[in-house]
Amino acid sequence: MTVMTQTGGVPATASTGSGTGSLFDILELILDRGLVIDVFIRVSLVGIEILKIDIRIVIASVDTYLRFAEACNRLDLESGRKAPDKLSDIVEGGARGRTEGTISGAPGAISDVFDRDDEDK
Amino acid sequence: MATTSPSLYIYAVTGSGHPLRLAGLRAVGGGSGALRAVTGGPLACVVSPAPPDLRPKRRDLAAHQEVQERLMADGAVLPMRFGMLAPDDAAVTAALDDKRAAYVRRLEELHATAEFNLKAARSQDDLLREVLTESDDARRLNERTRDGGGTYADRVALGELVARQLDARQRLLADQVVGRLSEMARDKAVAPPAGDDFLNASFLVERERAEEFSRAARQLAQGYGEGYDFRLRGPLPPYSFVV
Repeated sequence: MTVMTQTGGVPATASTGSGTGSLFDILELILDRGLVIDVFIRVSLVGIEILKIDIRIVIASVDTYLRFAEACNRLDLESGRKAPDKLSDIVEGGARGRTEGTISGAPGAISDVFDRDDEDK
Repeated sequence: MATTSPSLYIYAVTGSGHPLRLAGLRAVGGGSGALRAVTGGPLACVVSPAPPDLRPKRRDLAAHQEVQERLMADGAVLPMRFGMLAPDDAAVTAALDDKRAAYVRRLEELHATAEFNLKAARSQDDLLREVLTESDDARRLNERTRDGGGTYADRVALGELVARQLDARQRLLADQVVGRLSEMARDKAVAPPAGDDFLNASFLVERERAEEFSRAARQLAQGYGEGYDFRLRGPLPPYSFVV
């Protein structure tokens, strides 16, 4: 189990909420929600569509089914997850592991969404 | 926007009585000290000169978000969706006048509230294992198709069965989580989850109950145990509750 919480910044406590990792999780709020004033122009945002492709839809296609079948075939049913010794251990260890995963996973996904020249100059 | 180039980037609508501490904030497109307010009656709109060639760059999205965070620290705010541009001050004032009553009412309703967004995923292997344990049909098909056995139709049938079960289980999980947290929220907005997530829900929470809400979400997550990944973000500007 992993629990990751992030304070958005009010009041500014431990974290600022504007780091890449946290921004990634609220991208869709910033880009897809929020107030729209019809008479104003919304700049055309190339790359946002890429985000939407990621939306999970269980597509009823043979390809998808075959992938699921393969995943089942690969699964080792004998090895269940071992029960954790102490909850605190998981929270700490899990969170750390997840953070690494998030950090290493996010830039790839983000670079698809954001512009290529989006380097800190 | 080829002919008349819009000149203002719009961040948020708020009350004209808002302290509007804009000093030191980074503008979308770069530069500090560029933010100001355009007021119209009881409302104010936070703007900056529109950057040429605006695109959703990471630092610009962060700047947009930081403006909201600064504003919501001092009062209710209607955050704009990223990328809204207006031609000039007069157009902003006109737009505020046009929807004055609705904006004023919504700002009052959002007073002392914040959005919390909760995303959650469950290990797909765990889900598959659960399906295979509980469904005789799935288990039988899985055994038949292992090590290249069975027919093509068997593999498709297995995949279809499992896909349906997976989807049903994820929906059930999402409903459970939303059900448990809704009672602590004033409103909720459930959106399609992305990637491996089974949940993407936003909650409008009263500031007074924010800590209670976060604590409840954490306890809920801990209750689900290993193989789950919950990501709670908040307090956030109420992007999902502006209308």
